[in-house]
Amino acid sequence: MTTNISGVLEPRSVRVHEIATDRESAIHRCADVLEEIGAVHPAYREAMLDREWAMSTYVGEGVAIPHGLDMSRELVRRDSLAVLRFPGGVDWEGGRVTVCVAIAARGDGHVALLSQLALILLDPRKAEILRSATDPEAIVAMLEADDEE
Amino acid sequence: MIRTVLLAGRAGLHLRAASRIAEAAATLPTQVTVRTLDRKPVPADSVLSLLGLGALCGTELILEAYGDGAAESLERLAEFFAVDPDAVGA
Repeated sequence: MTTNISGVLEPRSVRVHEIATDRESAIHRCADVLEEIGAVHPAYREAMLDREWAMSTYVGEGVAIPHGLDMSRELVRRDSLAVLRFPGGVDWEGGRVTVCVAIAARGDGHVALLSQLALILLDPRKAEILRSATDPEAIVAMLEADDEE
Repeated sequence: MIRTVLLAGRAGLHLRAASRIAEAAATLPTQVTVRTLDRKPVPADSVLSLLGLGALCGTELILEAYGDGAAESLERLAEFFAVDPDAVGA
């Protein structure tokens, strides 16, 4: 079965009122949420930071997608996403970020999630929901509807 | 002009790979598009479009370019898909 977004995103891992002073603290918040929901081993945090410093995870449309490295995939306990909105924005290498979609996935699931997420960001209506929703349910609903398309 | 290449990256077409390819594509003399057998062609200089292909290791990718410099553009870009960015020494 193909890994899809609604299968790995729970409402409790969508946070719409986050604040971060910089890129590093935004990634710490992403790691906090992935840890809270039991998706990753605590060492995944360091892998996310290492990955970010190797090359920015900014992908355009005000979105960054922090994640670990290939070799850190054994630190993933359960394929998961976390969506964190930073309404005040965060300065990022490449642009200003208002949404982080943190990814923790093993094997080919990682590319499957990246692909679905990229197609969402290329759809102006869906990208706008991701950037502007103040209700986690609105984000979850959009992503679930996306799975059915 | 068309060139087919099999994706070499064991971890698939992930963000680092797509970023490098898009960056290289932006410097080529002609626009190159990429598609898989079941998707529409997308511009090779768009990171999101490349990620959207969801290409796994071994996926057949079809690169297309036309006009002056097309052969050179395809040659240079095909190399990126044919090398595993996570291989030791890559």
